[in-house]
Amino acid sequence: MMDRRSFLRTLSVGIIGSQVIDPRELFASLPAGGPTGGPALSVVKGADPTAATGTAIAALGGMGKFVSRGDVVIVKPNIGWDRTPEQGANTNPAVVAALVALALEAGAKKVKVFDNTCNTDRRCYERCGIAAAAKAAGADVFFVEERKLKKVDLKGEKIKEWPVYTDALEVDKIINVPVAKHHTLARVTLSMKNLMGLVGGNRNLLHQKIDVNVVDLAGYFKPTLTVLDAVRVLKRNGPQGGNVKDVEMRNTVAASTDSVAIDAYGATLFGMTGDDLGFVREAYGRGLGEKDLSKVNLIEKNLS
Amino acid sequence: MATQQKMSRLKKARIVSQTVFFLLFLFLLTRTEYHGRDTIGYPVKVFLELDPLVFLSTLLSSHTVAPGMFLSFIVIGITVVLGRGFCGWFCPLGTLNDMVGALRRKKVPKETRLDTHGVKFKYYLLVGILVAAVFQFHFAGVLDPISLIIRSFAVGIAAAGDYLTHSLFGLLYSTGVGAVTAVSEPVYEFLRTHVISFEQRSFVQGTFIGLLFIGVLALNFVRKRFWCRFLCPLGALLGLLSRFSLLNHKLEEAACDDCKLCLTTCAGGARPNAGGEWRGSECVMCMNCESICPQQAIRWQFGRPKPEYRRTDLKRRYLLGAGVGGLAGLAIMRVSPARGHADPKLIRPPGSVEEPEFLRRCVKCGECMKVCITNGLQPTLFQAGFEGIWSPLLVPRIGYCEYNCTLCGQVCPTDAIVELDLETKKRTRIGQAFIDSGRCLPHAFGLDCIVCEEHCPTAPKAILFEHELIADEEGERELKLPYIDPEQCIGCGICETVCPVGGEAAVRVNSVGEDRSPTNRFLL
Repeated sequence: MMDRRSFLRTLSVGIIGSQVIDPRELFASLPAGGPTGGPALSVVKGADPTAATGTAIAALGGMGKFVSRGDVVIVKPNIGWDRTPEQGANTNPAVVAALVALALEAGAKKVKVFDNTCNTDRRCYERCGIAAAAKAAGADVFFVEERKLKKVDLKGEKIKEWPVYTDALEVDKIINVPVAKHHTLARVTLSMKNLMGLVGGNRNLLHQKIDVNVVDLAGYFKPTLTVLDAVRVLKRNGPQGGNVKDVEMRNTVAASTDSVAIDAYGATLFGMTGDDLGFVREAYGRGLGEKDLSKVNLIEKNLS
Repeated sequence: MATQQKMSRLKKARIVSQTVFFLLFLFLLTRTEYHGRDTIGYPVKVFLELDPLVFLSTLLSSHTVAPGMFLSFIVIGITVVLGRGFCGWFCPLGTLNDMVGALRRKKVPKETRLDTHGVKFKYYLLVGILVAAVFQFHFAGVLDPISLIIRSFAVGIAAAGDYLTHSLFGLLYSTGVGAVTAVSEPVYEFLRTHVISFEQRSFVQGTFIGLLFIGVLALNFVRKRFWCRFLCPLGALLGLLSRFSLLNHKLEEAACDDCKLCLTTCAGGARPNAGGEWRGSECVMCMNCESICPQQAIRWQFGRPKPEYRRTDLKRRYLLGAGVGGLAGLAIMRVSPARGHADPKLIRPPGSVEEPEFLRRCVKCGECMKVCITNGLQPTLFQAGFEGIWSPLLVPRIGYCEYNCTLCGQVCPTDAIVELDLETKKRTRIGQAFIDSGRCLPHAFGLDCIVCEEHCPTAPKAILFEHELIADEEGERELKLPYIDPEQCIGCGICETVCPVGGEAAVRVNSVGEDRSPTNRFLL
C-alpha cells in the first residue's frame, strides 16, 4: 500500500507531467469553451491508474473547477461484487483513491465513499481494495444501512418514490466513478447505471425498463463529474465476471462533466457507439448530455 | 447470605476462573463472525473441542474424531485426577446458572426426594445418549451444555441482544439530534464492528430456542444449578470420570456442629455436611462449603478417596431402562421419511459430508449459523428428521451461500462440515437451481429481467439466455429467457435470494444434485 505522501507525489507527477507534455492543449481544453462548443471529455492512457486519473482531471481544468472549499463530496465507485481488482468487476482502487485525494486537496471538507453492494457488503469492500485505498487517501468509507434510507420523489419517467441513501441527498458534489463492464441486459454498464448504488429498496425491480430507470437516476443525481475507469475492461460474463480471461487491459481513464458523453465513449470500448445503447439514446433524448462524440471536445493523452 | 464469613481463597479463585472463562466464551462468540478476513483467526470452537461428551458421543456414532477434539483429553485428565471442577470453574453454562441462581434467596435446608434421587437422572440420560450413539444415533448435541449454550446464544440470545442494540441505536439516530448522534454513532459503529453481529440476524426457531434456554435458566429458581444437578449429561460423564479423583473434600466431624449451612450453599448435590454420605461425583468443586463453614470444619486434601465417598447410587435396573430408552428413542425418532427421501429443501452447507454421516457428526452447536455471513444458514426443525433437529440448512430466500466464503467449514467442531479450500468450495455443488417459468418475469410476463444471471457467481455463468423476438405495443424487441446450465450450477442460491419476484422466488434451489449424495440426483 502506497503511503499518503508518495501517493500525492505520484498524483502531482501525473498532473505536472501532463502539463509538460502539452500545456497549450491543457489550456485549450477548459470545458466551457472548447473548439467544438460541446462538453469536454478527457481520455488518458497510462499504465499507472493514479497518474492517469490525475491527468484526466487536470485536462478538464483541475479538481478545483468541480470541488469548492468546504464541499461535502461523494466519490461513488462500483463496489458491487466480492471480486479482486484483477477481475475487473469493481472500480479500480487507485482511481478511487486518486479522486479522493484530489477532492481533499481542492478543499473538500469531507469525502465519502460507499456503494450499495450486490454480494455481502463487508466482503466486497474488503476484496475490491477500495475501502483500504480510499481510507488511506483520507475518505470516510462506510456501509449503506437500511435505517439511513429516505423515501424521495425522484420525479423520473418510471421511478417516482424510491428510497435513497441520505448521504446522497445531503451532499454538495457527486463524483461518479464507474468501471466499464459487460452487462447482459443493458449490454454494458457505465456511468448512469452506477448510480443505482445510491439507492436502496428492491433495486432488482429496476431491471424492468432498465434503460429508462438508469436515466431517471442520472437525471435526479446529476453528478458534477464522471470518471470512467477503463483500466481493466470486463468484456464478457459481466457484471461480476470472475475469470481474468474475460478482462482486457485498456489502461485508460476518461473524465467529463457529461455522463452521456462518457457513456457514449464507453460504448466504443466494446466496439459500439452511444446509439447502440438504449440508456444513452434515452438520456440524450431527455437533454441530459451529448451522445455524438464528434461534437465532444475530446482531449486525448498518452502517458506511456 | 452469610455475611459474617469472609470468602475463602479457593472460592475467590473459583469465581475468578469462572469470570475469565465466561468472558472468553463471550469473546470467542463475538469472533465467530466475518471480520474482514477469509479465515477465522481465533479458536472459536475450542469450548466444544474441550468437551469430553462431544468427543465420546461423536466417536461412538461416527467412528471419527476431528483432530481438535483430542483437546478434550485435557478435561478428561483434569477430571480423573482432580474431580468435576470443569462444571464449577469452567463451564459457561454452569457460570450462567450460578449467576441466575444468585438471584434466588431461598435456602433449602434439607434434602428432599428430588435431591436424593434427581441427581441420578442425568446418569440415566447419559446412558441413553451413549447407547443411542453406539447405534449411530447422535443426540448428544441437543443436551450437551456447551453445544446448548452456543446454539442458544448464536440463534437466540445473542440475536435478541443484537436486536436490542440495533434498535436502541436506530432510535437514537432517528432523533436527529446532533449532540446525541455525535456520541451514539461512533459507539454503534464500534459495537457492530467488534461486538454484536454486523447486521441484525434472524433465525427460524430463534425465539423457540431462546425460550428453551431461558427455561433452563429459570430452573435455577427450583434448585440452584438445576440443570447441572439433574439434567446435564456432560456433568454425569464427568461425575463418572471423577470417581477416583485424588483431590477430596474432608469434613472434620469433630468440629462440625451440624448447622447445615454448607448443605444450603452446595452448588451440586454432594452432601458436604454428611461425612460418610458425601457424593463426590456430584461435587462441582465450587468451594462454597469450605468458604461458608463457621467452624472451618471442611478442608480439601489430596489422597486416595474412600470408595464409599464417591458413589452416586445408580440402580442397575434403571441403567438398563435408560439403555432401552435410548434405543426406543432412536427407533421412534427414525420413523421419518427423511432418511430415505431427501427433503428437497434440505440444502446443507458446502463441505457437508453425506447425509447419514452428517447426522452422525453434527452436534447442533449452531457455530456455522452464527458465522454465516448472509444469515442463510438456519436451524432445521424436521427437514432432516427428528434426529437432525437444529442442524444447519441453507434457506436461500433468507441468504445465499457466499461464493468466496468458507467460514462454516472452519468453525465446525466435528467435521460434519469439512473445511474446504476456496477453489474446491467454489466447485462444490450443494444443490440445483430451477426456474419456475410460471413466475419468472421474462418467461411468464414478457418483462425484461436478468437479475438471477447477473448475480450468478460462477465463471462461466450457470444461467444463460435463450433469445426470443417478441412484439408488443412498443414494437418488436428481443426478450432474454433465462435457463440453467446444470453443469455449472453449484446451488449457491444467490439467484433465489435476489429474484425480484416477491413471495416464492421464480428461481429456487433444491438439494437435488448435491455432490455429497450418490443418490439425490437428476442427471445421468
